[in-house]
Amino acid sequence: MAAVDLQQIGFTYPGATEATLSDLNLSVADGEAHALLGASGAGKTTLLNLLSGILHPTNGQLHFNGEDVSQLSGRARNVAQVFQFPVLYESLNVSENLAFPLRNSGFARQVIDERVTYICDELELGQLLEQKPRALSLFQKQLVAVGKALARPDVSLVLLDEPLTAVEPKIKWQLRQTLRRVQADLQVTMIYVTHDQTEALTFADRVSILAAGGILQTDTPEVVYQSPQHEFVGHFVGSPGMNFVAADALSVSTAQRIGFRPEWAQLSNAGQLSGTLQRVRIEGAQQGQPAGLMVLDTAHGEVVVRGQLPDVQDRLIGSQLQVQVLRGVAFTNEQQVGSHEFV
Amino acid sequence: MSSFRPQNNRAWLGVLPVVLIVAFSAVIPLMTVVNYSVQDILDFNTRFFVGLQWYEQTLNDPRFIEAFLRQVAFSLTILTIQIPLGIWVAKGIPQNSRMTPLILVVLAMPLLIPWNVVGTIWQIFARPDIGLLGVTINALGITYNYTSDPLHAWITLVMMDVWHWTSLVALLAFAGLTSIPQPFYQAAELDGANRWQMFRYVELPRLRGVLIIAVLLRLMDSFMIYTEPFVLTGGGPGNATTLLSQHLATMAVGQFDLGPAAAFSVIYFLFILLFCWLFYSSVVARNED
Amino acid sequence: MLELVGAHLQTESQAEFDHQFAPGQITVVLGANQSGKTNLCRLVAGQNSRARGQVLLDGIDLKTVDPRKRPVSMVYQAFVNYPNLTVAQNIASPLLARRGQGMMDKKTVAARVDELAHKLQIHSLLSRLPHELSGGQQQRLAIARALAKQAPVLLLDEPLVNLDFKLREALEIELRELLRETNTIVIYTSSDPRDAFTLGDEVLLLAAGEKLQAGAPLDVYLRPQSLAAMQLMADPGVNKFERDSRICALRPEHLRTVTDTGIDMTFDMQVSAFETNGSESFVHGEVEGAQWVMRCDGMLRISPGQHLKIGASASDVVQF
Repeated sequence: MAAVDLQQIGFTYPGATEATLSDLNLSVADGEAHALLGASGAGKTTLLNLLSGILHPTNGQLHFNGEDVSQLSGRARNVAQVFQFPVLYESLNVSENLAFPLRNSGFARQVIDERVTYICDELELGQLLEQKPRALSLFQKQLVAVGKALARPDVSLVLLDEPLTAVEPKIKWQLRQTLRRVQADLQVTMIYVTHDQTEALTFADRVSILAAGGILQTDTPEVVYQSPQHEFVGHFVGSPGMNFVAADALSVSTAQRIGFRPEWAQLSNAGQLSGTLQRVRIEGAQQGQPAGLMVLDTAHGEVVVRGQLPDVQDRLIGSQLQVQVLRGVAFTNEQQVGSHEFV
Repeated sequence: MSSFRPQNNRAWLGVLPVVLIVAFSAVIPLMTVVNYSVQDILDFNTRFFVGLQWYEQTLNDPRFIEAFLRQVAFSLTILTIQIPLGIWVAKGIPQNSRMTPLILVVLAMPLLIPWNVVGTIWQIFARPDIGLLGVTINALGITYNYTSDPLHAWITLVMMDVWHWTSLVALLAFAGLTSIPQPFYQAAELDGANRWQMFRYVELPRLRGVLIIAVLLRLMDSFMIYTEPFVLTGGGPGNATTLLSQHLATMAVGQFDLGPAAAFSVIYFLFILLFCWLFYSSVVARNED
Repeated sequence: MLELVGAHLQTESQAEFDHQFAPGQITVVLGANQSGKTNLCRLVAGQNSRARGQVLLDGIDLKTVDPRKRPVSMVYQAFVNYPNLTVAQNIASPLLARRGQGMMDKKTVAARVDELAHKLQIHSLLSRLPHELSGGQQQRLAIARALAKQAPVLLLDEPLVNLDFKLREALEIELRELLRETNTIVIYTSSDPRDAFTLGDEVLLLAAGEKLQAGAPLDVYLRPQSLAAMQLMADPGVNKFERDSRICALRPEHLRTVTDTGIDMTFDMQVSAFETNGSESFVHGEVEGAQWVMRCDGMLRISPGQHLKIGASASDVVQF
């Protein structure tokens, strides 16, 4: 287990004119569950490959427990990785797969057996031990791949590269839950790389949002959601993302723009913003009254509000409504400069 | 959906050319051979039905048995050399280099040379008096003459086949290797796998499919080999390199024994079928457990 | 008006049903895997499948029409485009096929291609080849091609299922605008009840080749005729329990933590997992021996193993 420290990391692919990553700083505590969240093209894969030792930084240093490992291979760093799809040795059965990294590290036979049994109990793989990978479901295979990554007791960091991609949507939560439980039980440092906000916000103790080769914010999921440091974070996290309007529309003079989440606003007769209802997206109903997202076209751009619909009739579309913003986060030059309560 | 049936049935017309080609190229000749194999043919108008007599005669013929054993030995030898060698060559080909296409073209060249030319090339290449290979070996102090020494003839024959066909195995294996996703190598590296383990546990299991194809192709092809040894050694010295097909040609064309030759052909065909089926089903059975 | 008469979608089932699709309306056909959704599309499109039944378009039996000339266009799950044609040529392909019949001159085709490319926001990519596009762009192209044909019936078979979440959200909203502009009969298959609400004027629920219920999405949601129908319209599923030996069910969004108002029944949940995207959270757990899931607004992070008092309003309970 290790604390991971990235200091002023920069990376430029050979032959490229622009750096893929620049001046990137990140500290992950020993035993922390950390998520790196970013859209495709943000530099996630590059950062992942730097951590796993496939690539080495052009600038800056990578420390594990204070020791500079920037130029070491992944093997020498004791890194393990779980990939997007299950990567197992197809000719070996489950217990042989789990024992494989242990055997190569020269552990005694008894230690290997104990460790395999322990991992199996932890992941509830008991009945599958003698099975070959091809007899397993995708879900089970990925579970074994997780077990293989955790098998070595001396592993310093486990990297998870969108490990739920191949798993059926309706059972993703089970594997994610298993990952969380194992992480907590074993106190392993884990870095989970993903473009999916649900994965990141559910799995991690802390989340880093990566955009354009740099980290915009690192915080707990709650803080990232409630108090984004950068407009992009507000837009990218949440479904749908934050609304942004000019600050003077809400009579704020100390910032350029105000961002607010759909649920931080409500329809009202005395709202600060007024607009035409463009579309609704019903998500269900409360006591017979439909509720969901309402998209309004206002003088300050599109605004999305979440809540109960005033009426279901079709002529609701196109009607004039007022939106009362209850709270918001203030931004200047895309950077957060404070928050406001409007009640 | 009944109204669509007439339209669907018309599609069978599209299959007709293939049915005709297969019928004329495979089924009808085969049936002709089966027909010949149960008759004694004196000339085209005088024939007697002899039942399984030719089959009995062929299976008891010592020359057939010898040729058959030589054939099995030859096929096994070239398989044990070509398959590992092909994999080794394939592993040496860089996967994403600008040189890759060039290497593949050079590698494929022996496959493009007509078979009788291959025979001629080696016949000259290995000649102890003027051939580059033959002269070189003799210059090293080793007496080498493939036209008089049966063992030398054998070695030359095997070398020729290895030169001619290893490329095919290498190309197939290379295609198999390029289809292995990078994460499998990354994971094995992080697991501390050495090069042998990387091959044994990552590459070999994923090459299985193409290797089965390679073994089947080489097995069938080597069992039917005719042109190259005919040009190289003509089956000699003595009968040392007379393989099944050459023995058959001698019977059918040389001696015009159409009946026995036909029986021989049918047996020959059944052997190849049997070998391939045994190999394939044993591999598939192992795949399923 | 498109009519299905005696539609039989699956060999394993005996079910046969009739259904009518109105012009200018989007019908979302909602069903799990293997429920017969794709077979329904193939039946309407006249492609080979196990499905049987009569398909009438404005009273004309489509069996009498050559499949190649059927007034139907289709968008598939996989991004199906001509790989060797550019984006512009792809969109034009159904128009050029008709030009042979003397229907369109080059200028009209170019104008139509331009119009569709703008609508689907791929006008900057007109000279690219399909493999140079992202998944979202490829599917936009496939939709543009299907719309170019201007067939009276448009089938979309789970067209967004292979796309990233954020892309999906964006395209879904655009699709509704695009499809409603025309007087086309649109059939859209999906397994996600949200699609029914976002896109559907009508929803048709299918299970094992059987028509469970049909109607306006909100109506079907509020008044399910069976537990299976309720299950199909619930995201991610319904919570079942028994009261007075009757089967009762609650939707995930109708469960709340007991601090909320308007609660007149409570349950004890042993939490096994949570999921959150910030805007809403799902809490999975066991209630009265069954697997339940609660959906609530905002971010809720609860450690597994914890006991949670949850409640619901009796008016949200559906009895069967």
